[in-house]
Amino acid sequence: MIAANCVASFHCLGESAPSQIDLRKFPATQLDDVVVPLPSEVFNVLDKLGAPNWRGELRDPVVGTRGERAQIALLLGSIVAEGFVAVEAADKARVKEVGRGVLELARAIGVEKTVLSRTNSIVTKADAGDWGAVRRELDGALTDVKNAMIELRDSQLAHLVSLGGWIRGTEVLTSVVGKRYSDDGADLLNQPDLLIYFQKRIAGMPSRLRNNQLVNKIQRGLNEISPLINQKITPGSVKRINEITGQMVKAIDSRA
Amino acid sequence: MRRFLIFLGVFGAFSHANATIDDAISRALEAISPYAKQGYTVRDDQWGGDLGVKEEKAIPHTLFRGNDYWFAMGTDVDNARVAIHVYDGKGRLIESDSWQKGRFAAARVTAPATGTYYVIVEVTSSPKERTTWAMVYGFK
Repeated sequence: MIAANCVASFHCLGESAPSQIDLRKFPATQLDDVVVPLPSEVFNVLDKLGAPNWRGELRDPVVGTRGERAQIALLLGSIVAEGFVAVEAADKARVKEVGRGVLELARAIGVEKTVLSRTNSIVTKADAGDWGAVRRELDGALTDVKNAMIELRDSQLAHLVSLGGWIRGTEVLTSVVGKRYSDDGADLLNQPDLLIYFQKRIAGMPSRLRNNQLVNKIQRGLNEISPLINQKITPGSVKRINEITGQMVKAIDSRA
Repeated sequence: MRRFLIFLGVFGAFSHANATIDDAISRALEAISPYAKQGYTVRDDQWGGDLGVKEEKAIPHTLFRGNDYWFAMGTDVDNARVAIHVYDGKGRLIESDSWQKGRFAAARVTAPATGTYYVIVEVTSSPKERTTWAMVYGFK
């Protein structure tokens, strides 16, 4: 209503904003952390880039609950990203499998109650073929799990959930872009500040977590990706990022 | 507190004002609701804090080329005025549309390229020394 009124009213225009600002002069205290985008934001763009063979991008979701909490957190993020691929592939059975997997992994780290209604909804909406709603529930499950971890004062694990999703999402993105390379597709990888954000989050983790073998491997992978993302993205760099993220996903899945 | 917990770091010395936070979030959601009806997916997260008059905060955000975004801001403080604008990594105003109406404001961006953009929020006037604000966004 407010916005609708504003369309017809010059009273809404307010003070005009400067057309150019010097971001270097922005006080650091007034600079927030970078926003980690939702998987939906990336897949929304991928929808517009044509129709890749999404079934060919699917992986069997690994739902191991015997690993350490760091690994389970990474797996949780990764399996949610897998859910998005399954939605693109319109694979009801796989989406439902992902929903159940999210619940199982959430249970393993003590945040099951938080996502129970989301995971039930994922299964129901997948049965109905309501893919938009499944996406919203997957986004919501990711957010709920992270917030529950923060409430449990486990924000480090919350970062790993985001990171797990980003790694699997980037593996899929580079696979899709690599098969039909275009500048528009490659442009989606221009995320250097997001990468720096994840690198800083790992660097700021307590040493017991930072020195965890898997987390350490993930950190090395991010360090390898960094120079590739900080320059013009080429078909070669897309391929290399796909290889690196593929190895990271395998490491996350292993021994789970 | 809903999903605002994740952004508590933004708040600083603000813990006494939960009701105010919720009210600011409600205002921001009110500002974005017309766009939700237009098919924008509104993210179930909120950003916020408190600002002095003419004080700004920058929220860096990776936006993806091909997506269309609306960022909306609100405050619960009567007679306060807020503003929200979006700049690219070179500090150029990039929004295609924006409006301010008292304690509500919004800006629209169709990202010309994937990269880091800066959502700048500001309290332009307020009867209070510190003004609670919240920001939400939607995309399609």
